[in-house]
Amino acid sequence: MATLEVKDLIKIFPGPSAGAPPVRALNGISFDVSGNVFVSIVGPSGCGKSTLLNIISGVDSATAGEIRLTEDGKRARLGYVFQDPRLLPWRTVMDNMLYVRDDDSETEAARYLDMVGLGHTVEMFPGQLSGGMQQRVGIARAFSVEPDLLLMDEPFSHLDAITARSLRDHLQEIWARTRKTVVFVTHDVMEAVQLSDRIIVLAAGGVIFEDIPIELPHPRRSSDPAVATLQAEILGRFEVMEAEMAKRRSG
Amino acid sequence: MAARWTSAIAFLLGWQLVTLVSTRVPSPVRVLEFLWLEVSGGSHGGVVRGEFIEHFLGTLGRYTIGLVIGFTAGLLIGVLIGSSSLARALASDTILVLLALPAIVWAFLTTMWFGIDVKAPIVTVALSAFPFVVVNVAQGVRSITPDLRRMTAAFGVERWKQFRYLTLGAISGYVFAGLRFAVIIGWNGVLLWEWFAGQNGVGFRTRYWYDANRYQGFVGWVVAFIVFIVLLDRFVFARLERRAFRWRDRATDVEIIEETTMGL
Repeated sequence: MATLEVKDLIKIFPGPSAGAPPVRALNGISFDVSGNVFVSIVGPSGCGKSTLLNIISGVDSATAGEIRLTEDGKRARLGYVFQDPRLLPWRTVMDNMLYVRDDDSETEAARYLDMVGLGHTVEMFPGQLSGGMQQRVGIARAFSVEPDLLLMDEPFSHLDAITARSLRDHLQEIWARTRKTVVFVTHDVMEAVQLSDRIIVLAAGGVIFEDIPIELPHPRRSSDPAVATLQAEILGRFEVMEAEMAKRRSG
Repeated sequence: MAARWTSAIAFLLGWQLVTLVSTRVPSPVRVLEFLWLEVSGGSHGGVVRGEFIEHFLGTLGRYTIGLVIGFTAGLLIGVLIGSSSLARALASDTILVLLALPAIVWAFLTTMWFGIDVKAPIVTVALSAFPFVVVNVAQGVRSITPDLRRMTAAFGVERWKQFRYLTLGAISGYVFAGLRFAVIIGWNGVLLWEWFAGQNGVGFRTRYWYDANRYQGFVGWVVAFIVFIVLLDRFVFARLERRAFRWRDRATDVEIIEETTMGL
């Protein structure tokens, strides 16, 4: 069972220009994720969501704090779905799958492409696929490494609303089958409510504002009244959060 | 294609016109007659016979070995310089100096180092070609986007796989550009060395006809090595390049498959 422990995490970036003050992207964040759960991290642009994911994945390093990621006491294996697909344009879809895998098993890689409905594209190049299909290859690639923890960084934010909705439904089906531990970053509250077991709300300045459990049965549709009600409730809390932040800034 | 043929015919006509006003420029027909004798081993008068194959193969052997050495070394050093800012800082000035050195300097230097020996033209070709490959390959490695690097790091892809899938793919366009420069510069290098120090080869034979004051012989060999370079480019490099870039051609030629056909 994958366990992610984030403790007192701080990330400070140098100022954007010489003489400019450093930017504090994360300000002492702590939380745990344990078991086969789908956790969303929600917050406004610039609150440090993607930075947090980059630090968890090891692509970036923290200024201070600690991250422990284990699978039954051993080091956990990670999968990553990015905002854009990040496929190698000069390699076929199959090669893109094999690139991240430890073995060269085309059969296994094809199984994950079948899972996202793209089994027939193995010989194609990414440029021959639409944006939504490329993102599905990105999702299949992340699942194909059989990760203990899957990180997803706003994977549907660059897609049109119809494609994003169908991919969200697709992701729920895949997740129901694989039951991976997922940390999903989004700025879309509806998306978070539809997909997650738990929502961590980050506020501007890189602090956790709220940790909300979502106890609705899966799979959920964006049109479900319960999803819409919960979304409205969380958006209401966002307004409270913004008012509090504004008060703190003026104080 | 039509434009290419028109330009070739215009060039031949221009050449023919120049021969009408100057006796020092051989006509295309005389050059072709000379080349036929040289290739077929026919007599040029007296005991001198055509020796095209012998000289051409001699040059080709030295040139190919030198080019392979220069290209391989350039590829490895280029990847190193492109990947490491320390290597770039250490080597960039040296590479600039090597780029600025003309092939004739290498031809003289290698003769001083190795004497009249087969090593000299091989090293001349390798050293002439090397910096052009290095600069282009290093540029190619640096063109790999940070997004692809972060994706690679996030998945923990092993180094050899990174080189095969990511680096080689990213640099292929730059490799062809560097290789084309290397081919031309290396060819110049081997011909220059053979011109003043060779005992056989294309450069040696060109000089032979130049010294003999036989214009059609000199021009015939110049035409032969220009034709060789053009054929090499058209039939080897252009085909390899098309193969390496088929992903780009397919992406632009084929219509993007619509989501609606995917059952979503």
